[in-house]
Amino acid sequence: MSKRTLPRLLQTPAVVLLLLWMLIPLGMTLYFSFIRYVLNSLRRPEWTTPSLSNWRGFGNYEYVLFSAKDFWFAVQNSLFIVVSILVLTVVLGLALAMLVNRSFPGRGIVRVLLISPFFVMPAVNAVLWINMILDPVLGLNGLAVEGLNGMIQGLRDFPVLGAFFSMWPEIVPISFRATQTSAYAVIIMVTWQWTPFAVLIFMTSLQSEDEQQKEAAILDGANAWSRFRNLTVPHLARPIAIVVMIQSIFHLSLYAEIEIVSRGNGNKNLPYLIGEFTSNNIGAASATGIFAVILANIVAIFLLRMVGKSMMD
Amino acid sequence: MAAVAQTSRFGNVFWPVLAWVVALIFFFPIFWMVFTSFKTDADAVKPEFLFSFTPTLENYTNMTENYDYWRFAINSVITSTFATAFALFVGVPAAYAMAFDPSRHTKDVLVWMLSTKMLPAAAVLYPMTFLTKNFLGIFDTHFLIILVLCLINLPIVIWMLFTYFKEIPKEIIEAGKMDGVSTWGEIKDILIPLAWGGVASTALLCFIFCWNEAYWTVRLTTTEAATLSKLIEGNRAPEGLFFGRLSAVSTAAVGPIVILGWFCQKQLVRGLTFGAVK
Repeated sequence: MSKRTLPRLLQTPAVVLLLLWMLIPLGMTLYFSFIRYVLNSLRRPEWTTPSLSNWRGFGNYEYVLFSAKDFWFAVQNSLFIVVSILVLTVVLGLALAMLVNRSFPGRGIVRVLLISPFFVMPAVNAVLWINMILDPVLGLNGLAVEGLNGMIQGLRDFPVLGAFFSMWPEIVPISFRATQTSAYAVIIMVTWQWTPFAVLIFMTSLQSEDEQQKEAAILDGANAWSRFRNLTVPHLARPIAIVVMIQSIFHLSLYAEIEIVSRGNGNKNLPYLIGEFTSNNIGAASATGIFAVILANIVAIFLLRMVGKSMMD
Repeated sequence: MAAVAQTSRFGNVFWPVLAWVVALIFFFPIFWMVFTSFKTDADAVKPEFLFSFTPTLENYTNMTENYDYWRFAINSVITSTFATAFALFVGVPAAYAMAFDPSRHTKDVLVWMLSTKMLPAAAVLYPMTFLTKNFLGIFDTHFLIILVLCLINLPIVIWMLFTYFKEIPKEIIEAGKMDGVSTWGEIKDILIPLAWGGVASTALLCFIFCWNEAYWTVRLTTTEAATLSKLIEGNRAPEGLFFGRLSAVSTAAVGPIVILGWFCQKQLVRGLTFGAVK
């Protein structure tokens, strides 16, 4: 047995499993994306079994790109949701990490409270937010607005001041079930869940910051803002890049939240659109899937470029 | 920190208070879920009962009746446990070989493993359904869910273990080799005891990810192997009528995991950044 045989042997199960897991389904998706394949068709029953004789070339891709009206909306919406979440989590994460990165009474409890949302199952997250918090009638959103309206109503009865308050309009709670607003709802709930992740990473990184350098800067008369800009931000550049990249990968395939919040109201992202196509048009679903793979790969290449190398040290 | 923290007396009070307020706001939805789970369905939607109500355990005692909670919970436990065990079983030897016997290709193999994680699940949804339903006949079985959960977490498991193993001085393993310890002996008697903390937190994190997985567990099951994700997703539109019982079942589904999560916060950083942030 040569010296290299054993290490190879030990890695083989993992490599083979992952290879099969990647190649077989992806190969099938690729194949289905080039044929006509639907689940139900009375007119063309031959299309309901996958076969090379139903070859369609790039027809499914053309259909998805140019005829299926939702494709571009889904791409745009996917990006809108991902970018919004990224901006919010990074900004909030930085602010909170700075806030918690000092010693004060109960810091341990504060950290535990802050990190908790990250461990909530996505399905529970979505059900909890859309029903109990954001619902315009029964959720806290509705209750709060109702309470405000009641308060204003009460103020209207005051002499003199009442005249002022009676000019106030009745507040109407926002419904988060329409196409556009349900995208906001998804952004809110995912931001709530992933800000803790950003906080955790930034906090870990802040703890390795060079304190002596900071103290030297204070002695040199640098104020808090310029210390933050010139010392902390460069130190955090890599963690920020990592948070952005990892979240992009997760949120590009966001599904449970969209499914629960937006079913049937038109708000969709790429994975959700694939799910819709899958109910009948497998060819189109597969072509859309290939587009999703391409999109994810573009992001992945950036990730591996930016952080892949430094991870090996 | 000492020098930086000496900003002002105002700051010494203001920032901690703000930190507490923000933390409470972030925790509030979870608190609200637990809180509502002790209300009856009728009380849960009445504004005047926001805080004045008689707490009840009814939602918890009726969980089996309303949702068949235990069947889903047991499925979650079984699939997450076995998937984690299987992932470690495959992952430990691989990470061991990569950390202590790296070849020219080890870097590429690791990066490639990570890249399988970036494949959007939705893209291969239909092939997976087709294969498991029509071809292999394992759709909606525990076996399938265990396999899938194991595979989607395997890259993270290997990466995490790899970063832990790399911190162990190579000389210790070399010394074992000199003494004629077998490979399995090396793993069992030298590596695992030294990297025990790392292996345990990898397992914990893998378990949490398995438990929370909500794409494959929902799509590849109907009843037999359905997990808690499926249960919650199936009850997504209660139209406000069942906030009490929905809260109870949600609390029962996420409670154990949130508490487990508190114990592995630190390791989470390593697991999710693949060792790039320490």
